[in-house]
Amino acid sequence: MKRVLANLKPTFRAGLLVGVLGLIAAFAGSPYQGSQFTIDAQELARVVETTTDHVTPEELADWIIQGRADYRLIDLRTAQEYGEYHIPGAENFGLTALPDAGLQKSEKIVLYSEGGIHAAQAWFLLKAKGYSGVYMLFGGLDGWKDDVLFPSLAANPTPAQTVQFGKMKEVSKFFGGAPRSGGTDSAQTPSYALPKVEMPQSVEASPASTPKKKKKEGC
Amino acid sequence: MHADAQSLAGEPVDARAPETPYPTARPYMHPYLAGFGLGLVLLAAFVIMGRGLGASGAFSSLVAVGADAIAPAHARANGFYAEYLGDGTSNPLMDWLVFEVLGVFAGGFLSGILAGRIRTGVERGPSISKGMRLFYAFVGGGLMGIGAKLARGCTSGQALTGGAMLNVGSWAFMMCVFAGAYATAYFIRRQWQ
Amino acid sequence: MNAPFYKFGLFGDNMSLIVAFFIGIGFGFFLERAGFGNARKLAAQFYFKDLTVFKVMFTAIITAMLGLFYLSWMGLVDLSLVYLTPTYLLPQIAGGIILGVGFVVGGYCPGTSCVAVSTGKLDGVMYLLGVIAGIVVFGELYPFLGGFYTATPMGQITLPQLLNVPYGLVVFLVSLMAVGGFAGATWVEKRMASRKGVQPS
Repeated sequence: MKRVLANLKPTFRAGLLVGVLGLIAAFAGSPYQGSQFTIDAQELARVVETTTDHVTPEELADWIIQGRADYRLIDLRTAQEYGEYHIPGAENFGLTALPDAGLQKSEKIVLYSEGGIHAAQAWFLLKAKGYSGVYMLFGGLDGWKDDVLFPSLAANPTPAQTVQFGKMKEVSKFFGGAPRSGGTDSAQTPSYALPKVEMPQSVEASPASTPKKKKKEGC
Repeated sequence: MHADAQSLAGEPVDARAPETPYPTARPYMHPYLAGFGLGLVLLAAFVIMGRGLGASGAFSSLVAVGADAIAPAHARANGFYAEYLGDGTSNPLMDWLVFEVLGVFAGGFLSGILAGRIRTGVERGPSISKGMRLFYAFVGGGLMGIGAKLARGCTSGQALTGGAMLNVGSWAFMMCVFAGAYATAYFIRRQWQ
Repeated sequence: MNAPFYKFGLFGDNMSLIVAFFIGIGFGFFLERAGFGNARKLAAQFYFKDLTVFKVMFTAIITAMLGLFYLSWMGLVDLSLVYLTPTYLLPQIAGGIILGVGFVVGGYCPGTSCVAVSTGKLDGVMYLLGVIAGIVVFGELYPFLGGFYTATPMGQITLPQLLNVPYGLVVFLVSLMAVGGFAGATWVEKRMASRKGVQPS
């Protein structure tokens, strides 16, 4: 066999190689990765532990105010809950509808649900499928309400906390919320009305849900 | 694969010896070896960038920028130019294909100078005047420009890239390129033979 | 390995332009090496005298196709992230025919004409000016062509998806077709050469 191969002209050998590689390909199975994903458990655990998988409500608020369009915000709650209130720019996809969301593996994806359980589940699902930029909103929508819409000042605030509260008061107004007056008992459940779901005026020009498509990639 | 590619180089190159030899300083590379190299460059583009090669797109950017400089309102209103001009946040010439094509010029020059093939002149058959050949070249280029834009890519962007990705439109395109060229070849044979 | 590197954010837009330049150098280098800076060599393809164009093109296609297939299959490249130009069948058929005519009339295609220009061919310069003129014509006619330009859209679709067969099977068939085509091309070249009274070797 070896001798036969050696006697062939190089072009024939190359042709034979192409034929063999092609033949193996025919039986090799799908080249797309979606069907055969693997989980790197250690890597996932490390990410969870270092909380690099989180975006805080304050950070998200900053992004929206800046009009950033380099991320997708996904609301995992029901359509009805979404209709009542959602964070500006959020798109509504349930856990089962997530594959249809048209998410890119490389783009930044921020997930949120009411508390955080559904977001965590969706986070694992996407992460396991090889999506690299998946984040959870820290504290979920509850966290968003507490920190952004209705921020409050602790009972005995440090100067730093007071400064932070001053800033958050502005942010809160931007999103149509109302800061709770300083010194109120934080255990008291807020009974403030949720703002309307419309996008704040100043960012309407560049909605976060449609990331701007750059020039075409083709020839 | 590598060993085979190496031994390919040892083969006599261009053994066909036509009656009018190509005016070259050094013989060209074996077609399969050159193709293999080209394929690896294309594969590198896939792996590094997630996209294929191209050529005509760079000239579209150039045309769009030109149109924008001469008549901005006209260019912005035209969907074709607008696509290449982008949303105004970035310079249309700071484009992947533009830089790639600059590289093609550089790479061609590099290979040409290493093989002693750089010389000014007009490539033409024995029975056509220089002027006519240049005229044909211009007309052919014009047709190519129109065809490439209609097909969303040229030989590099569609046939080569799309061919390797098994793109339906690219394969249809490739067949039609060969069909169109073979159908026309007879009528303009005086240019080449 | 997370490939395509760019799509996974391993480097930014500015770096991508540098990458573009170097990939372009490789592209131009091998085009020139193959003899594609020479219009007569390119045009000879269409008179069956020298089938280098076919050989180089299909060697490149099967090299990249097999490489992409196996890298994706091993999980090193995410194939779904490699950009696939959407198919618009009718305009691509029409464009292909026009481009084919332009190829044999002009003697180059846009990529090879760049190489011709950088190796000093004046016809290459004229050809490139023609390409630019053609794009201007297309651009100006675009408002009227727009309907045809977007006719028969089929989306981003590959042959395996169209035929509903495994991807690898099409890879195999294309490989076979290419190897068969190479054998046929070599045979044709020898025949054409002997017809002219030159001894084939």
